[in-house]
Amino acid sequence: MTRTYHTVKYLCLLGWSIFVVFPFLWALSTSFKDANAVTSGATYIPWLEFEPSTQGWASLFASGSRGINIVTPFLNSATVTVLASIISLMLGTLAAYGLSRYQYRAGFVKNSDITFFFISQRIMPPIVLAIPFFLMLKEIGALDTIAGLVIVYIALLLPIAVWVMIDFFGSIPRELDEMAMIDGCTPIGAFFRVILPNSATGIVVAGMFCLIFGWNDFFFAFILTFTKTQLLPVAIVSLNSSVTPWWSLSAFALISVTPLALVAVVVERFMSRGSLAGAFR
Amino acid sequence: MAEITLKGLGHSYFTTPRGDDDYALKPVDLVWEDGKTYALLGPSGCGKTTMLNIISGLLKPSDGELLFDGKDVTEAGTSARNIAQVFQFPVIYTTKSVRQNLAFPLECRNWAPARIADRVAHIAALLELDDILDAPARKLSADQKQLISLGRGLVRDDVSAVLLDEPLTVIDPQMKFSLRRKLREINRATGITMILVTHDQAEAMSFADVVVVMKDGRVQQAGPPEELFARPQNEFVGYFIGSPPLNLFATQAQDAGLYCPALGVNITPPKQMKNDTAKVGVRPEHIHLSQEIGDLPRATIKAIENLGIDRVFSLWTAGGEPFKVKSRRHKHLVQGDEVGLTVSPDDVLLFLGSQRVECSLSN
Amino acid sequence: MLKLENLSTPDPKVPLKSLSANFEAGKIYTILGRTGAGKTELLRTLIGLDPISEGAIHLDGSDLVSTPIRAREMAMVYQQFINYPHLDVLDNVAFPLRRKKLGKALARAKARDALAIVGLAGFETRLPSELSGGQQQRVALARAIVKHARILLMDEPLANLDYKLREQLREEFPRLLHENAEGIILYSTTEPAEAMQLGDELIVMHEGRIVAQGDPAALFDSPPSVDVARVISDPPISICAGEIRDGALLFSDGSGAGATGLTLSKDGPVQIAIRPDALTIGGDIFATVKLAEFSGSDTIVHLQLPFGEAVMLVDGIHEFHPGNPLDIMLDPTALLLFSHTGANITERTD
Repeated sequence: MTRTYHTVKYLCLLGWSIFVVFPFLWALSTSFKDANAVTSGATYIPWLEFEPSTQGWASLFASGSRGINIVTPFLNSATVTVLASIISLMLGTLAAYGLSRYQYRAGFVKNSDITFFFISQRIMPPIVLAIPFFLMLKEIGALDTIAGLVIVYIALLLPIAVWVMIDFFGSIPRELDEMAMIDGCTPIGAFFRVILPNSATGIVVAGMFCLIFGWNDFFFAFILTFTKTQLLPVAIVSLNSSVTPWWSLSAFALISVTPLALVAVVVERFMSRGSLAGAFR
Repeated sequence: MAEITLKGLGHSYFTTPRGDDDYALKPVDLVWEDGKTYALLGPSGCGKTTMLNIISGLLKPSDGELLFDGKDVTEAGTSARNIAQVFQFPVIYTTKSVRQNLAFPLECRNWAPARIADRVAHIAALLELDDILDAPARKLSADQKQLISLGRGLVRDDVSAVLLDEPLTVIDPQMKFSLRRKLREINRATGITMILVTHDQAEAMSFADVVVVMKDGRVQQAGPPEELFARPQNEFVGYFIGSPPLNLFATQAQDAGLYCPALGVNITPPKQMKNDTAKVGVRPEHIHLSQEIGDLPRATIKAIENLGIDRVFSLWTAGGEPFKVKSRRHKHLVQGDEVGLTVSPDDVLLFLGSQRVECSLSN
Repeated sequence: MLKLENLSTPDPKVPLKSLSANFEAGKIYTILGRTGAGKTELLRTLIGLDPISEGAIHLDGSDLVSTPIRAREMAMVYQQFINYPHLDVLDNVAFPLRRKKLGKALARAKARDALAIVGLAGFETRLPSELSGGQQQRVALARAIVKHARILLMDEPLANLDYKLREQLREEFPRLLHENAEGIILYSTTEPAEAMQLGDELIVMHEGRIVAQGDPAALFDSPPSVDVARVISDPPISICAGEIRDGALLFSDGSGAGATGLTLSKDGPVQIAIRPDALTIGGDIFATVKLAEFSGSDTIVHLQLPFGEAVMLVDGIHEFHPGNPLDIMLDPTALLLFSHTGANITERTD
């Protein structure tokens, strides 16, 4: 009985793995094809089934009619995502700490209302925000600039950071802050000396969400930029012409997935080292 | 209802255990009779939770067999064993009333409504929950919630045993007593075997007919409370049961036997013994102090703790061995007093290499 | 000297109601009370974690209420094991000294000494999460005593520990706490024996008020009210209704209690309190065993007597079967009498 069970279990896992990995393999093989190879049906093995070509990859570093240079959009995307994530994390962590430890009151507005206000930013459909954002950036002359995008992305990422961190601070016993104050810290000192060093798990999780959402955003990048400040998702779309260059698109997709995949691997290592587990019971 | 037999039952979390140390639960033979109350008692990490998980079916043992009424259930799943379990924190359906909570397991088994109503009424009467049957479960106190958790287990009519995993931890001290009493009453009324896991010796001893004392994955002793107290199998049980713990005194070889200078007693040990590690154990309650010293062995009072009803005396023997005496008398004794010691021969225990051996006292 | 004057708090759950008390340096005060009596609330208010609504707290004449927590020179040990998870054991203990701007080397040297005192020498480089519960609480204790604070507050520090660890630490505490000899130590607990054992002076709290303060043994022998008698007695003291009629003490069933050693001057209804050690086996009161419990190395027998329920304490572990009859003797010299309002009206003849 156990044997059958194990066989079935591993078959299921294998099936799922193939399902997950297949698109990547597909993209990888396609990125080394040329127009002929792409149109001649499904093939996977280079040299045997098709003649590999580096044309797709080359087009990412070319310019003009032969392709598009990926370096600038890549750097733009990285700058905007990382900057916006760091700023959101800093502001979000501070806001979340205040909301989780102190009671605020302005008229009928209490802590729970402020928290809901933050989260509600993510509830409304993005399209609602597109026009106001466009007009505001236009007003301050920040359309099609890195700075403008960073500001907009902070607005998008801050609710995520606040949300994750409020939940995380809720899991740290309040007595820890109190102990720090009894031991001679100011309230601010208690946060920086005791709470922050014990918040790695929460910050890593919140940071990961920020990076993923920031990196993958297409909608705002598309609406708020034109030609000067192009981000990766927009650049990919701009590759599309009357004949779809599948080889370039595949190479491009693989490159844009790589940073997030690296982040995931690093975080996974970090988590499994056990440095985060078991700090609180 | 069932008699539970552990046949060489042991568990290692390693796939290829290299020795005793790799076993979270060292192989053990035990028989748990139908209808009695049992307690698994020991410090954290002693293997009691591992044993409980094996019995409930959450964990498959690496060694041995588990029998319910002679039937091998080692490989059977949790649901096949008909075990009711109460956890440390009450598990109840907060959106339902007490009645719905109790009826739920029967509804899942498609019992007829009339039959469910009968059975729920019966269990509610047993647990004395009749008055609050229609109250929302979430509004109840912790001990009432714990009773509902128990009731949901008992409501099925095919329960073979109830496992209680530190169920009194979250209960107020004042309520603990009444809940413990109710558990015993339910055991008497239903005749269902109950197994309690706890680290609190007072709880284990008060609840169980038989207490299983565990340490480092090994069963140290299984027996009724009074036996654990009066005849501890080894030094650990002597230490773990009783407060203050068992006193231990050094011995000297003398003639054919042993002499304990602290208490002035001669002991005839069993024949085959080596006497280099022999110690004499006496409970702090069993040493009597007297101010008329005469020929009695002497001791000096180092400190006295007044606990209200009892006093705990810390003393030095003439040979400088520290020990304790617990007594309700001697209110006039003060620190620094010299006293004489007497013990009854029945209360003197002999330990060889930390295991207790039978002995007799000679003059 | 720490002085409370009519201290009240606005806490919605357990408000403190007009507490006044004085605490002297160099003494251990144990605060005894049931869950919800206001013990934790009192300690939290003293250290400044919870606000007060009325009254004053003075330390050597200077007002404490307006002093921020970090400047109060107090230390606290919580019931939960609270340590800094990111710091190793040594830096955990050095933490309060570092906040006082002590040099790193000196702070660590002092921390090392404190760890040796609590029996954790050799554990300096471990993280708190790698320690057992008892060891974690020792770290918290070392961090509290290393400051040599003016006031050391301990809020049921043993409540979350295993039975045997509790026994062991309780025995070590008098020595450990005397490390803070110049300080005032307030130690809260729900266990009468612990309070009696550790306290130079005992404070009994009930429903947000201090209901008694004084020498532990004296309070135990002669509690001022029936509430204090209940809180201070473990195993529980049994209260039976009765009356004094024509100079005789009678239970509700009309049977006489015997009154050796008692002066019964005023006729009228009384509450008769029977200590668990006032009852012994072998006498002329017919009782039925309701249940037996074991505590440490005693047996606590719950009895049904003709005039009510009572608890009897028997040395050692013995089996008593529920429902069995038992003949009981009552020692009248160990009785306490309370008026219907709960005041102690016991008068002893010498």
